[in-house]
Amino acid sequence: MTKREIIQMVLQGQKPPYVPWSCGFTQEAKAKLQAHFGAVALEDALQNHLLKLGSDIGFFTDLGHDHVQDVFGVVWDRSIDKDIGNVEGCVLPEPTLKQYTFPDPLDRRFFADIPDRIAKYGDRFRVFQIGFSLYERAWTLRGMQNLLMDFYDHPEFVHELLNTIADYNIAQVKAALKYDIDAVYFGDDWGQQRGLQMGPRLWHKFIQPVLKRMYAAVHDGGKYVFIHSCGDVDEVFDDLIGLGLNCFNPFQPEVMDVAALMQQYRGRLVFHGGLSTQKTLPYGTVEDVRAETRRLLEMGRAGGYLFAPAHDVEGDVSLENILAFIELIQNQPGYRNN
Amino acid sequence: MNILDDVRQSVIDGNMEVTQKLVQKALAENVPAEQILKDGLILAMSEVGRLFESGEFFVPEMLISARAMKSGLALLQPHLAAANIQAIGKVVIGTMQGDLHDIGKNLVGMMLEGTGFEVIDLGVDVSPQKFVEAVKEHQPDLIGCSALLTTTMPRMKDVVTALKEAGLRDRVKVMIGGAPITEKYAHDIGADIYAPDAASAATRARQSLN
Repeated sequence: MTKREIIQMVLQGQKPPYVPWSCGFTQEAKAKLQAHFGAVALEDALQNHLLKLGSDIGFFTDLGHDHVQDVFGVVWDRSIDKDIGNVEGCVLPEPTLKQYTFPDPLDRRFFADIPDRIAKYGDRFRVFQIGFSLYERAWTLRGMQNLLMDFYDHPEFVHELLNTIADYNIAQVKAALKYDIDAVYFGDDWGQQRGLQMGPRLWHKFIQPVLKRMYAAVHDGGKYVFIHSCGDVDEVFDDLIGLGLNCFNPFQPEVMDVAALMQQYRGRLVFHGGLSTQKTLPYGTVEDVRAETRRLLEMGRAGGYLFAPAHDVEGDVSLENILAFIELIQNQPGYRNN
Repeated sequence: MNILDDVRQSVIDGNMEVTQKLVQKALAENVPAEQILKDGLILAMSEVGRLFESGEFFVPEMLISARAMKSGLALLQPHLAAANIQAIGKVVIGTMQGDLHDIGKNLVGMMLEGTGFEVIDLGVDVSPQKFVEAVKEHQPDLIGCSALLTTTMPRMKDVVTALKEAGLRDRVKVMIGGAPITEKYAHDIGADIYAPDAASAATRARQSLN
């Protein structure tokens, strides 16, 4: 069976021959792995089951001095965080879109590599990524504290901003659906270590109705919906399933009970992630990593699960700990004999 | 209803304009500034902290309440200074070197101010040496260290070590918090206080003064 078929089995609620995986790494962690694997391309060494298409966080213009600007005009300081960076300044200093023009959602760069990537890795499950897909896009433009207060001070502006972001995404989804993709992978962090940043009441009022539109655009094209949302957000799982969500990531074990949730939602929601990146990977021993990986693989054996570290692996994780989980997932008998 | 009850409610509601009007009204009625601060603004923020800890309030509600509190405090400040009313304590806060994520630290700062502390915010990406210099300059009761990333949390231990090396460790309490931080980690690195969220940071900082 191809990796694509294995993932489809999982999404359809069937028991796969082994637990599939798709693991991400930050630049620093990638460099360690690349040094280890030498000439072998990481895509080939890792054997991830998801083929990531489009661009998760968009495209950037280099402004020099470790600063870049995204297509929305937001300037990011990458002097410390080399992968994403931190927003500098504020593109929308006032709660209005009157002076602002959204970028072109059909910018060719978002789709340029899709045919070649599918030709090269066609056996994998194809996901078109849209990062910063709603709330995050809104706060990168408006500033996080401003936006959080706008929920109360300027609710009409928040509705307009979120719906305009959704229009942009939906246009991009429709263009992506012209390719032979399998799913759209949205990314939007709503959580914190405990609960939702904006709380459930505001999430339901402002975020949920807009998600409904975005997810419907994907389902109307006959594709699956994935979402990445960091933090403790399991209180909205049932709402997300109601909106048509198929797979949730990152499934952080520090903030949610992964064992209980996997059992509770099996058949209704697939989980992608689960391996502790706040504790086990940076601070545990190789044996700790192995034990947690084995536990997750055991839980996922019945289906409903795609293995991964619960975040792109950071540079503070040792190569030994990274190799420990890679070795176990790639040595699953069902995978080796597939 | 007592005007200070109304001040409290306006802060809890996050209604800055009403808070300002009521604080001015209370001052005009000769309610002492210190009483407006303690029985109005600080009690209100204490209730906001309780609502946050019990899961009724979230970050947006805390932000608009803190904004209302600050606007009221700004009106009181000249009166407090004239009456020589001091803050209950002084705290220096900042995110760890290499960490630019500051919303948690900002919330902690707001809640500390709402509890009656003077807050000196060193901002983001603060080196251990900068904390040491700030302790020398401002002589705070506490320092508050914030980290979102596992890659920057080890700098907290460096702050504790730097304070020891500078002979300042006994003069200041160290409070730490942030997503990956645990009570055990605080204990392991020799910090004095672990705060799981902004509201408990304010409560525990205040308790530490006793």
